Amino acid sequence: MKPLLHILSFEWKNLWRSNVLKILLLVVLGAGIYGIFFGKFEIDKQETRISQVQQYERHQFDSLLIWARLDTSILINKEKYQKAVSPTGVGWNKHFTYYLAHEAPPAAGLCLGQRDLFPVYYGFNVTDLARQVNAGELANPMKLLTGNFDLSYVFVFLFPLLVIALFYNLYAAEKEGGTLLLLQSQSISLRMILFSKGLLRLLIIWSLATVLLLLGFVIQGISVFEHGYLFFRWLLIIYGYCLLWTLLMGMIVRLRKSGALSAMLGLGVWLVLTLITPALLNLFVMANEPLPNRAEMIHTLRSLNDKNWGSPKSFVFDKFYPENPQYFKKGDTTDFNKWYYASFTLLDKESDALNAQFEEQVGRRNALLEKWEWLAPAAMMHERLSQLSETSRQSHLEFVKKVHTYHQELKDLYYARIFEGEQFSYQDLQKLEEQL
Amino acid sequence: MLRLVIKKEFLSSLRDIRLQISGTILIVLMLTAVLVGRHGQKEIQTQRTKAQSAMYDKWLNQGNKHPHSAAHYGQFAFKPKPVLSFLDIGLDNYTGISVFLEAHKQNEVQFSAAQDSNGMTRFGEMTAALILQVLLPLLIIFLTFDIFSKEREEGTLKLIHAQGLSMRQLFMGKVWGTYLMVLLIYLPIIILAYLLLDQRSSNLDPAIGSKFLSLTVGYAIYFLVFVILCVLISGFARNSGFALLTLLGLWIASCIILPKATANLADKVYPAPSQFEFRNAIKKKVKNGIDGHNPSDERLASLKQKVLDQYGVASIAELPVNWSGIAMQAGEEYTDRVYDQEFSRVEEIFNKQNRLSEWVGFINPYLAVRNLSMSLAGTDFHHHVAFAKAAENYRRAFVKKMNKDMEVNHKPGVAYGDYNVGQDMWASIEPFKYNLPSTSKVLFNQWRSIATLAIWLIGLLLLASVYAPKISKL
Repeated sequence: MKPLLHILSFEWKNLWRSNVLKILLLVVLGAGIYGIFFGKFEIDKQETRISQVQQYERHQFDSLLIWARLDTSILINKEKYQKAVSPTGVGWNKHFTYYLAHEAPPAAGLCLGQRDLFPVYYGFNVTDLARQVNAGELANPMKLLTGNFDLSYVFVFLFPLLVIALFYNLYAAEKEGGTLLLLQSQSISLRMILFSKGLLRLLIIWSLATVLLLLGFVIQGISVFEHGYLFFRWLLIIYGYCLLWTLLMGMIVRLRKSGALSAMLGLGVWLVLTLITPALLNLFVMANEPLPNRAEMIHTLRSLNDKNWGSPKSFVFDKFYPENPQYFKKGDTTDFNKWYYASFTLLDKESDALNAQFEEQVGRRNALLEKWEWLAPAAMMHERLSQLSETSRQSHLEFVKKVHTYHQELKDLYYARIFEGEQFSYQDLQKLEEQL
Repeated sequence: MLRLVIKKEFLSSLRDIRLQISGTILIVLMLTAVLVGRHGQKEIQTQRTKAQSAMYDKWLNQGNKHPHSAAHYGQFAFKPKPVLSFLDIGLDNYTGISVFLEAHKQNEVQFSAAQDSNGMTRFGEMTAALILQVLLPLLIIFLTFDIFSKEREEGTLKLIHAQGLSMRQLFMGKVWGTYLMVLLIYLPIIILAYLLLDQRSSNLDPAIGSKFLSLTVGYAIYFLVFVILCVLISGFARNSGFALLTLLGLWIASCIILPKATANLADKVYPAPSQFEFRNAIKKKVKNGIDGHNPSDERLASLKQKVLDQYGVASIAELPVNWSGIAMQAGEEYTDRVYDQEFSRVEEIFNKQNRLSEWVGFINPYLAVRNLSMSLAGTDFHHHVAFAKAAENYRRAFVKKMNKDMEVNHKPGVAYGDYNVGQDMWASIEPFKYNLPSTSKVLFNQWRSIATLAIWLIGLLLLASVYAPKISKL
């Protein structure tokens, strides 16, 4: 144990005196801090957008509450009152647009994941949902392509480079510096010395990772105590990833090649694992597993819509009432509003079925990528981090599910009034407001 | 003498085992990327053509109905997969694929591939562009980092000098020798890629030949720039290790870190509005008028007066034409103006963001060649916008035709449900066809990138001729 500590402390002094280590650590630290601030900036932007729509929604709903109490004996108040209390809306204008936001999970700013590809909120009314939630967020595709410089990027791409830079001349420096013979004449084996040198470097890298992650939590205002488990799991994944790269570099060092060749080999492995394998996987999957033609969805809905409008009202009612008997009342086969809203339920049903089909197709394709994911540890690590931070595509799908549930809840409230032929009472509106 | 140096450099690198291995890997990767990419591109293009014609069939066979109902039924436009996207996929996975064209509303081009994929997609796709832009420069680094120091260490540099060869000649010899090696890897595959093009590809884009040629030349210049830069740096480096570290550092900064930092910075400098703000601005302008003082009901009233005066009648009922048709078309044209304003505002913001990366290209030739290549492959932002505009123009034209028919043929007094047209009318709308922008237009859009490459090349040649004689021989 003593010789190990001795070597460690000597090597530490050695490393610390060379400017190379300081510069490298500073560069990676700087990149990491930039990444932390960048992630914070992106999440803040999303949060601003969310609070913007939430404020707008509340403000709009407040007017409804005021309008619902207007004195309707005055002519100009009548229209506003109608707007507030008609669940069917007035004319072609629907009653109200509700928003549901996908609030940023705590660690989203550390790994932005796929979150930038999707809207962080959806606005919808009680008509069919599918055509209201397929709008994207305005985003420059160039930015989406180049991706985000967040902390996870620094860990996934730059840390392996740091490992390579610290390890490539672990052996070669001794040889090229002429100290190798001196070392070999010591009582401790060369392997032990090299191992200790490697261990020290790994400890330095782990420390830097810990410092960066702590900084990330602090700067982004994520409480380490509250989210201790999250912090711990992040740390564990990063430690494992750094260890993997250390082992790979250890294997290269064992070959005992010159510094230049070891560096090239290391970089070659880095290229293969972070750039080439994921790109090849994407190439093969993209060429062989086509994505669903989602335009089909719009087409199916417009055709059904066309049929609904082109047929007698019974076309819709005959399908609607058997499935929704709670709304059935004798003799309700001609009312326009009932027919109109019943038809949206048919559209919702159709689109849910089609969407499930699309997701299955997409799922098959992504399962294929996941099956081969282990070939690309960098992509795997990034995917794990984004799952951990709830910024993966899966998290978005879960949000979409919530949108569906909320939409259904709203529909239940609206349909109950529409099929009773009633208007919203003030209490109804208050109840709706509580849900906002 | 120069020729001898070139030959020596070329042959010695050809015999270098490191090069043999990495060169072979590169060639195999390129072959895979080109062959599989071309296959994938063809598949996707076939799918889209099929989808496009299937949707047009649906339009033709929608049955008899009122022209305005048909405008609501709508049409679709599918973005053709540009032929050269198999060489450079560019933004293709991040831009939408199809757009629904309907009355009253300009929809966005929707459903990007990235939205349907997991995180792996963000790591990019193996295309020729990735190899040529990122990996081949690495090979150049491996070829050149010890090109002077080795000779210096072995003492041959002094010998060569004693033969009467000037340092400048030796320098250029090394540059051309290395460049020849690079071309040996690059040209066969690019020729193979060219042979993969067929008649169908030139149907899709008649300018494919000149685009391909420009692409080839663009990359050839990029490699030359890189070779001169590397030879120059290794000439002045203390030793080969230092040269290697410097070059790799430069490579990592310019190919891995800078592009990301630039795009992220651009987003901060020129912030884009959110979808919510965008839609709200459109709604407001349609309702209150573009200047905010021309609300929709006033617009309608003045239009009504104008039409009544034109036909010299006192009321809508006396008009010989269909008032709704006129009003609807006027409404379309007004919203079109609003859409044009708002969409081009956002487009301009994104263009500014992208231009920032084009300017940064002046210090980072990787960005210049990346933008140029994407553009020539038809997968950059300009192409996306060009498609969206073509689709929108098509929408406006067919909606206008429907409104016009309603105005002229749907006689006043006839109920909406009683005026129907059929297939003849639908067939009078030609299927959607989109022509990719011409080569000159693409090159004009990319003048900054082209200028960047030219400046780098000329600048480095000048630098080399001034500084090459100062390279130490010891």
